[in-house]
Amino acid sequence: MTCSEIQELSPLYQSGCLDAKQASEFAAHLKSCPDCELDQRVRASVLAEQIDTSRVELAVRNQTRPNPRSVPGWAVAAAAIIAAVLAAGLSYRTFLKEQTPLLCVDAAQDHQREIVNGEPRRWLSDLSAIEALAQGQGVPVSAISALGTTGYRLERGRLCFLKKQIYLHLVYTKGDGEFSVFLRPRASESFDASVRGASVGGEDVAYFQSDRFTAVFVAHQSGADVLAFARAGARVL
Amino acid sequence: MPHLAALLRVARRLTLDLGMSEDLVQETMLLAWRGFRQLQPGSNARAWLFRILLNVFYGQGRKASRAPVIEAPLFAEPVAPMLQEAAEISQALDALSMEQRTVLLLAVVEGFTCREIAGILELPIGTVMSRLSRARQELRMMLAPMAKEAYK
Repeated sequence: MTCSEIQELSPLYQSGCLDAKQASEFAAHLKSCPDCELDQRVRASVLAEQIDTSRVELAVRNQTRPNPRSVPGWAVAAAAIIAAVLAAGLSYRTFLKEQTPLLCVDAAQDHQREIVNGEPRRWLSDLSAIEALAQGQGVPVSAISALGTTGYRLERGRLCFLKKQIYLHLVYTKGDGEFSVFLRPRASESFDASVRGASVGGEDVAYFQSDRFTAVFVAHQSGADVLAFARAGARVL
Repeated sequence: MPHLAALLRVARRLTLDLGMSEDLVQETMLLAWRGFRQLQPGSNARAWLFRILLNVFYGQGRKASRAPVIEAPLFAEPVAPMLQEAAEISQALDALSMEQRTVLLLAVVEGFTCREIAGILELPIGTVMSRLSRARQELRMMLAPMAKEAYK
């Protein structure tokens, strides 16, 4: 076997799909060729790493959606009229058509894993313990109290990592709905002060940045509800 | 999206940072999407994507050449323990210079020929071959003590 054949057959060798004769020739070549032996070890090591493509894929898809401005003028006018008629009932559909920040994609995935799928995590449910956790991250008790005035009930809290930064993850309920609120003192994200919305893989996300906080609200297929909660949150935070 | 995992794998090894690697690949895919018409029919789309990735990477003035000291992340979720061998190779790869690491990853992991790599990096083929050879040499030197240790 030649060195280029080794390179070509390497995936088959690694997955055990070579027949016995080929596998033995492959192994014999590795023993006699230090370069191929080293390359094989490097390949096996690097290719064994798990690569999660979902965040980038979602972000790219969101940014490469057809631009509504590129459609003919009459279609834009017709769409505007229909939109105006539907606006009262479907105001939550004014979700962003542009870029969904990766932070929101991370938040949506976190909510899906921990709340929708119920993967086990350590949560704090005692209010004073949650407040202490929040204070440790620079989120004052007044912020937790303020969110409590919006009509949503704080159930539990923990810390999590989104985009390599620590966020306070609070879970609120109202009726049957469970809402995640990811909160941290205002960071480098350049979100608008006004509440924006997005839909990420079945989760509805609303986000904003006040003078003091960066906040992301997530709920599973809640539509208007998550935007309403985020708007209420934006008024008090 | 085809080639996304391969681009992320290489980007992660270049930036040594998950967030930066995702931003880099996101930018690469958007540039590729916008410039798709420039791709000649029948040409190597995979090599073209890697060329964009590396142009963006080097264009942003990222010149860190060796692995920085990475602090253990706070509150990290538990991950499956890597095999000792894989961990050692990973560490040795990150310790290579950026030029050597790039050529080695493209050749050994992504399976590009030296000619293709020369096209991607816009370098003479001789330079690619010598970088690859030096990369293997350095990697072997770094891994030798580890192997001896393992067989003790």
